[in-house]
Amino acid sequence: MILEILSIGLIVSACLALFLDEVMYSVAALSGTFLFTALLYYVNGAIYAAIFQFAVGVGTLAILFLSGEMLSDKSTKKTSPKKTVALIGAGVVLTLPAIFLSISSSTGTYSDASFGNALWNLSGVDVILQALVILTVALGIAIILYERRNGGK
Amino acid sequence: MNFVILSLVMLAIGIYGLLTKRQLLKVFISIELIATAATLNFVMLASSAGQGLGQAFLILAFSTDTALSAVILSLLVIVTKKYGTSNINEILKMQEKRDSEAEQ
Repeated sequence: MILEILSIGLIVSACLALFLDEVMYSVAALSGTFLFTALLYYVNGAIYAAIFQFAVGVGTLAILFLSGEMLSDKSTKKTSPKKTVALIGAGVVLTLPAIFLSISSSTGTYSDASFGNALWNLSGVDVILQALVILTVALGIAIILYERRNGGK
Repeated sequence: MNFVILSLVMLAIGIYGLLTKRQLLKVFISIELIATAATLNFVMLASSAGQGLGQAFLILAFSTDTALSAVILSLLVIVTKKYGTSNINEILKMQEKRDSEAEQ
């Protein structure tokens, strides 16, 4: 039951994030999407994934709130409550296939590898190192762009 | 409960927003939803299969997602500062106007 409630919350908050008129309300709804995703991971036993999702979500939201406040066009148009209720209803309806339909899948032989086992024996460390390389490259590009911008002035 | 269908619904919402929304921040939110759908599918399948490797791979997905977000946001700031608006239609109109003025 808890999974269904979390799934409905996830889809409803995704719909609200996309279809609300004001950007700040959209970002607030997107925070709900990240929160429900992290809770879904936690309920399914993927605790590390939940922690990562929560941390990355918080960082993304901080940046989005700042940029949303800075860059959005200030509109006086308010979203009507009728539209909000319709969006919530649409979100609930969109979740129904995930709750009631099922795709038959063949049950394969799954290993019961734990997080630590996957990290050390199944090349998980390689993945983390690749992630570090990508982050370093992104940081380097950002620094080069910043220096070029300052040098141009 | 089927998480493949759930992530497909999320993906569909994100793609719909990507195609229809004209505000740059909404486009960015759509991309975030698509990335969330992909990671959701990935982690839930790995977790239901009892694979810890799925969670380890999630770190890679998050790092690429974060780098992607940083690049998109920087482009968004540049475009908004340059054109004074974050509406794609208005930006395209201004660009066409500039091109026609440059040709004349």
